[in-house]
Amino acid sequence: MHDALLTLGFAVVTASILALSAVAFTLQYAVTNVANVSHGEILTVGAYAAYLVHQRTGSAVAAAVAAALAGGLAALAMHSAVIGPFIRFGATPTVVFIATLGMSFVIQNVLVIFFGAANVAYTLDPGAPRQIGPFLFTPLDGEIVVSAIAITAALFFIISRTKFGKALRAVSQNRELARVTGINATRIAGATFFLAGLVAGYAGFILAESVGSFSPYFGFGFFLITLTAAVAGGLGRALSTLVGAVMVGLILEFAGGYVSASYNLAFAFAILAIVILVRPRGLFTNARRTVFE
Amino acid sequence: MSAYLVSVLTEGSIFGIMALGLNVIWGWSGDFDLAYYGYIAVGAYMTLVLTIGPAVAPAHYILGLTLPYPVAVGIAVITSMAVGLAVGSIALRHLRGIYFSIVTLGAVYVMYVLAGQYVPLFDGYNGLSGLFDPMGDWFGLDYLSYQYFFLGLSLVLFGLVFLFMWRVSNSRFGMALRTLREDERAAAAFGRDIYRLKLKGYVLGAGLGGFAGALFAAYLSAFNPSAWSPVEIIVLYSAVLVGGRGNIWGVGLGVLIMGLLVQESTRFLPMLPGLGQLNTVHPQVLLAMRGVIIGLVLVLFLRFRPQGLLPERRFVDREGALTVAPQTA
Repeated sequence: MHDALLTLGFAVVTASILALSAVAFTLQYAVTNVANVSHGEILTVGAYAAYLVHQRTGSAVAAAVAAALAGGLAALAMHSAVIGPFIRFGATPTVVFIATLGMSFVIQNVLVIFFGAANVAYTLDPGAPRQIGPFLFTPLDGEIVVSAIAITAALFFIISRTKFGKALRAVSQNRELARVTGINATRIAGATFFLAGLVAGYAGFILAESVGSFSPYFGFGFFLITLTAAVAGGLGRALSTLVGAVMVGLILEFAGGYVSASYNLAFAFAILAIVILVRPRGLFTNARRTVFE
Repeated sequence: MSAYLVSVLTEGSIFGIMALGLNVIWGWSGDFDLAYYGYIAVGAYMTLVLTIGPAVAPAHYILGLTLPYPVAVGIAVITSMAVGLAVGSIALRHLRGIYFSIVTLGAVYVMYVLAGQYVPLFDGYNGLSGLFDPMGDWFGLDYLSYQYFFLGLSLVLFGLVFLFMWRVSNSRFGMALRTLREDERAAAAFGRDIYRLKLKGYVLGAGLGGFAGALFAAYLSAFNPSAWSPVEIIVLYSAVLVGGRGNIWGVGLGVLIMGLLVQESTRFLPMLPGLGQLNTVHPQVLLAMRGVIIGLVLVLFLRFRPQGLLPERRFVDREGALTVAPQTA
């Protein structure tokens, strides 16, 4: 029983990082209707930015801000350089999928050129573990979870209560209709990518912290799990994705804790394959809209 | 002929067979399959476990037979086709577009994790080795003349596969596959069984991948998880895209450009003035530069010339009353 509770503690940390990454990914999907395969590289860029700034300033807060900003700019660049032009050019979602896969390959290799392919060790002092309720948490874990919850809350406030959020939802539901009503869809999509990039960049920072190291390939591995969470919940739907992410995070940590962590990716995809085959629109959606293509 | 040229041409013809197999799945059937490199790996692994003999502790792997190389290749191809059939029958039944790609991406990562982590299968991360000069002793070849023999064998096999694909390209089956790519509903209206046709094409592609993998295993004489990675598929896709998707002559051209020119260009980059010191920074720089070039080529071709350098010939109504919409994906 004690082991299970300990695992649950880890699982909450994993789930909160996964939630940030998956919600950021699903927001990008919502405004463009294409899956950004280079989403993982936003996390990687965030981790590198945090590491570099932390080395110069020695401040974890500055590192977190740098990670978010670098992630935001990276995502904005992805949208303005590749995804936006492809959509304007009338490319199908599959073509954009392939293009972003190519972009992900380019970014990984550019990072290798500048920083080398080796793993970089990067850890903050986790502090002494404390008992919170039945769970064992380090203060660092606590900070990760609290910050993830705060960011998610802020994100949902922006989506549901602000004018920008309203425009975002309009573009996601019907891009043409939104444009007819005077919304600059490209601009809204760009702004959404920036916002999602801020969140994903920060997620890269806390993921690097919780894993303890990172490399140019680190975001891509996590992207595969992010994809599972987003598709399991419901692609393009922020709330469903959030639920999916928490669920996948919990399942992965329990499977990893009891079987072997090396099979995590295989587990993630087993979940994904089952969900796609049984409920291709995601577990927590009831829309009749088809998702094929 | 220098040893370097021999190895480049051997690699090139094996790469060509891989690209022709991928062309069946992506070029004709029109599905962006990310599991393809998995079939190459299955072919390579199976060839090795069927030829290198029983495992000596501490190594672990299945089978461990000492079959003649051609027999092992045959079984390896059949195994690849069986794996392709399993993946295809799940992924092709209802899924298209990015959902198909995501499921195949999942499938290949499951294969990769199993090959790398489940030690009793193919000795985990150590991988397999020990297939030296298959068929060389039949003809009493020494090491040097074997290289030429294997080059000739690879070139002949590439030629045969190319000829076979040329036949398939013009066959009713090839035409039907292309019809599915253009418009599944129209094909169904003409009485085509979409799922079965697509699955047939997928299994054919997987078999060619396995065949190329079997040759690759003999060329490398070993195979392990660091010898392949699911993302390597990007190089194959760039070759098919640059040459001309759906046109086997185009695929041949793409293999020449991406497989030989770009793959080998990094070997010569350090000879350019100013780039010589690059290699001293760290050893992966040149490999990474090749990756950047391949990725950029993929993105730029998708955007500006999606039909490739040698586009597939399209059948246009001679009276010009009907126009065929440009194909982008």
